[in-house]
Amino acid sequence: MAENINQILEKQDYFGIRLESIGGLGANLCGKMLGELAVRYLNLNSAAFSSYGSEKTGTPVKGYIRYCLPDKEIRIHAPVVHPDLLAVFHQALMQDAGVWKGCGSQTKVLVALDEGQENLSGGLPDCIRECYVVNARQIAMESKSRINVVMLGAIAKVMGVMQLEDVRQICRDSLGRKYPDALEGNLKGLEGGYAQVRQLALHTETVSGKEKQGGDSQEWGYTTAPIGGINPRFGNTAVADLSPSRQGYIPLFIKERCINCGLCDTTCPDMVFQFSRGEYNGREMMVNQGLDYYHCKGCMRCVNVCPVNALVQGAESEHAQKQYFLPNQDMLRTPDYYVESGPDGYITSESFFTEVRMKGGEV
Amino acid sequence: MEKQVMEYASGNEMAAVAIRQIGYDLMGYYPITPSTQIAENLDAMRATGETDLVMIAAEGEHSAAGICYGASVGGGRVINATSANGLLYALEQFPVQSGTRYPMVMNVVCRTVSGPLSIKGDHSDIMYLLNAGWPILFAHTVQQVYDFNLIALKLAEEVRLPVVVAYDGFFTSHQKRRCMRFEKDETVRQFIGEKREDYPFLDLNQPITVGSYMNEPDIINNRYQLHLAMKEAAERIPELFAAYEKLSGRKYEMAEGYHHTDASELLVLLGSSYETAKEGVDKLRGDGTAAGAVTLNVLRPFPEKEMFAACEKAERIMVADRQDSYGAWGGNLSLEVRAMMQKFGGRAKIKSLVYGLGGLDFFAEDAEKMLGILNDPEAPDFSYYGVTAGDADKTADRGNFFAPLTRERTAVGATTVQKDADGEVRVKGGTLNATAAMPKRIAPGHGACPGCGIPVNLNLLLRAIEDPVVLLFQTGCGMIVTTAYPRTSFKVPYLHNLFQNGAATLSGLAEICYRKQKKGEIPPGDIVFVMVSGDGGMDIGMGSAIGTALRGHRILLFEYDNGGYMNTGYQLSYSTPKGARSATSHVGKMQYGKTFFHKDMPRIMAATGIPYIATVAESNPTDFIRKAAKAAHYAKTEGTAYVKALSACPLNWNDNPATERRVIEAGVNCCYFPLFEIERGKTTLSFDPDAAGKKIPVTDWLAMMGRTRHLCREEYRPVAESLQQEIDRRYERLKLDAEKKAN
Repeated sequence: MAENINQILEKQDYFGIRLESIGGLGANLCGKMLGELAVRYLNLNSAAFSSYGSEKTGTPVKGYIRYCLPDKEIRIHAPVVHPDLLAVFHQALMQDAGVWKGCGSQTKVLVALDEGQENLSGGLPDCIRECYVVNARQIAMESKSRINVVMLGAIAKVMGVMQLEDVRQICRDSLGRKYPDALEGNLKGLEGGYAQVRQLALHTETVSGKEKQGGDSQEWGYTTAPIGGINPRFGNTAVADLSPSRQGYIPLFIKERCINCGLCDTTCPDMVFQFSRGEYNGREMMVNQGLDYYHCKGCMRCVNVCPVNALVQGAESEHAQKQYFLPNQDMLRTPDYYVESGPDGYITSESFFTEVRMKGGEV
Repeated sequence: MEKQVMEYASGNEMAAVAIRQIGYDLMGYYPITPSTQIAENLDAMRATGETDLVMIAAEGEHSAAGICYGASVGGGRVINATSANGLLYALEQFPVQSGTRYPMVMNVVCRTVSGPLSIKGDHSDIMYLLNAGWPILFAHTVQQVYDFNLIALKLAEEVRLPVVVAYDGFFTSHQKRRCMRFEKDETVRQFIGEKREDYPFLDLNQPITVGSYMNEPDIINNRYQLHLAMKEAAERIPELFAAYEKLSGRKYEMAEGYHHTDASELLVLLGSSYETAKEGVDKLRGDGTAAGAVTLNVLRPFPEKEMFAACEKAERIMVADRQDSYGAWGGNLSLEVRAMMQKFGGRAKIKSLVYGLGGLDFFAEDAEKMLGILNDPEAPDFSYYGVTAGDADKTADRGNFFAPLTRERTAVGATTVQKDADGEVRVKGGTLNATAAMPKRIAPGHGACPGCGIPVNLNLLLRAIEDPVVLLFQTGCGMIVTTAYPRTSFKVPYLHNLFQNGAATLSGLAEICYRKQKKGEIPPGDIVFVMVSGDGGMDIGMGSAIGTALRGHRILLFEYDNGGYMNTGYQLSYSTPKGARSATSHVGKMQYGKTFFHKDMPRIMAATGIPYIATVAESNPTDFIRKAAKAAHYAKTEGTAYVKALSACPLNWNDNPATERRVIEAGVNCCYFPLFEIERGKTTLSFDPDAAGKKIPVTDWLAMMGRTRHLCREEYRPVAESLQQEIDRRYERLKLDAEKKAN
């Protein structure tokens, strides 16, 4: 960063950080640590909070942190609209136009990016001049920590003004007391993020972030919305494309093995299986014709119940062309465009903390 | 000044810190967003032994307020915290608390009152309390939440009135700020002083009667005493503020302002927006406009003199309310400011706005724009700020995504129910393959977590019902994830009503349908009315469900038992297993998790004598489908049916989404969740794990979930054993009931 935060705060009242994440990656805690760090070690004042909603695995979460000079009161309670630093915790979020809202040439961007994704498919908005990347997922897995501490380390490095030791200390303060067993891994993750974050050379031909709209635009106002909050458009959640919510794996259908027992259809929470009348072994019955991958969240319940291994788990990256991909048969029309949304267990299932939770540990 | 230490914390966290430091005796509470964190934080402190506060998780806010009332009559120091619909549900208890003059403190973390349901912050709840006889301190910063909690109890005990500390949901309750607290609890306790009881209820040598039956001419005198107490509060609050300033160095006034003394135009607003508005005022001052802002720290008693002093000099005043008193052409704050100005002969031109409903963000620029409206002679005296007209072209209906689920489409013939000559109701078909022909009543694309059991159970239930269905959901994850506006997953008529009122609502809906059919106003034909509840809905909604069952309406009550309040972040419900960890039953050196057994809801329902009760599990899908068909049959023809499914919650059970069916199966095999039906009073076991050689100890099931795995450790063996004994006892009784039928 060309200027450090104190220099910036001489020119503007606040330095705003926005975290773009999905429930389960720990962005809320990361924001809290960033806030507390400023107050305890940087001789700044700060406020930290998250976007709010019902608590579900993987729903999009935004974290907001404001820094200002120590004797200034932070009176603003509204979200950070024009971030000075934007940290994207999951590369899939880059597709979402809302993530880039309010970004400008002043915005430094940090993206958690997997190996080999440097072309930033989906692209940055044209206005971005400074972009950093860190392979947060790999570092988190190797250090048995979580994305949030890796990102904390990377943010500290990008900010320039934070001493690694201070960040280590805030991590000890926040995590060490609550989860002493996980502290060592978390410190490793933090240091990994600090050491491995790197600036990306931006070419002028960087693809600009495409503007996305809501599927079959439905945003009603008071002259157009049916009274009373009534929603006459039955079943319209079908416009959601839940594929970003998968954990990197999909169920693969091996039709030759399928005995059409129907168990998969009874265990799927997302109405993925498309049965219709057909013939199997010379008998007329309901036959599994395929899977609606638009709506599959990749929970793998079906793989677990299939008695004949007609459903097996496969890495999505190895199956770009999904065999037996059959969009919901009951739909009368395809949405103008599917809206990528929904939950995401992506990292949670591989996170050390989730392992600890499943073992009954306190997290 | 006393020594203080810095905390970096949210409003809810600071409320919990204050409550711990004060050393309250008892908290009666019921989880509701956004106030729940207070109880969660205190429960975590209980687990570690930082507090010995007695915490009672009620089965609804009405009861929580009752618990608090009883404890305060008994002379305890009592605390509660609630929001929105919880506040309204408990409302009738509050005038009793103040009218009989028992002090306590309640934190109201302000949130939008339903419906449509919103969990975000505005002031539509707190304004219902204006006439309750409780002083209301309104904190607009995190620091004030802490400070006002200390002042509130002292005030309450001095004037013998219950006191509310109100603050903005999320904006204040969840934002983390730098703030100070007293280092020593002793400082706090000395400030508040000893509790004094004029009429100790538990002094058995001096028995007293509380709660007289009182009409004229006495009740007006009782109310006048309350009025006098409120006047006393108005005098005491500035004194308490002054005493507190000596202690803390922080100065508070009944009403406060920013650049207001020489302002020609003022913005008056309540809560966190006041802080944000200061930024707008600074901007306007920089541009040469004489702008200012004013807020209240005390909403009741209304500080009319202080407010007038703050507003006196202004030429124009904009009062912005985060709620509306519909039809009064302004929110309550605006009405009170108008009345106050009239009383003291103020000359300022006053306008009102309603803004920020449902947590709509308030930016500093909004303060500037609001003052712009004030200065615009063309702008009306009262209007809504931040509404969107909408664009008819953009929102034109492009046609349905699905064809309506007509009677013909759902009559797939996969499951048939008939009453045989012997009077027995028998289900034919119901195989998994054949019932796959049933069109799904719920569309894909809902927002449930991966592996969630709720849609799984709903689909199993509905694939058995070949008649049209009408669905009603009580509040819970099931409705949150399916109906986030402007989308809905439902392809059939769907209604959401309050958490505790689903069964009653569906009673009314079904009866009007039957009446309309009888009168020929709608086509004849069976319709199955299904009430769906879970996430603790059978705690708060049990009374409504039992009432419905006793009246015998022809409806089906379906409970997905996911064992906790999952939609608000997993607080314990009465169907959480004993010993399980939750956000309000932490595990620590002083606490092993939830302290009482899971509720035996089917047996409770059995006592109502309804014709059909069944338990179902996705691990036994054919049994599930057949029972669902039978339940629908009874719901159409005879009366209320009740079906309960054990429903997996990977997020909060802390297990793997992929293997949930095995976890459910283990729940059945350990007899925690036995499968049976009670049909016209006759009990039949559907599956006997013992006989099938599949019986497992309950610890095998507990070990599969992170929330209960600790119970398998040696130190918690007594807890696991007591759970095993309870399960065995219930199962033995069930078997005895089933054998009775055989004989």
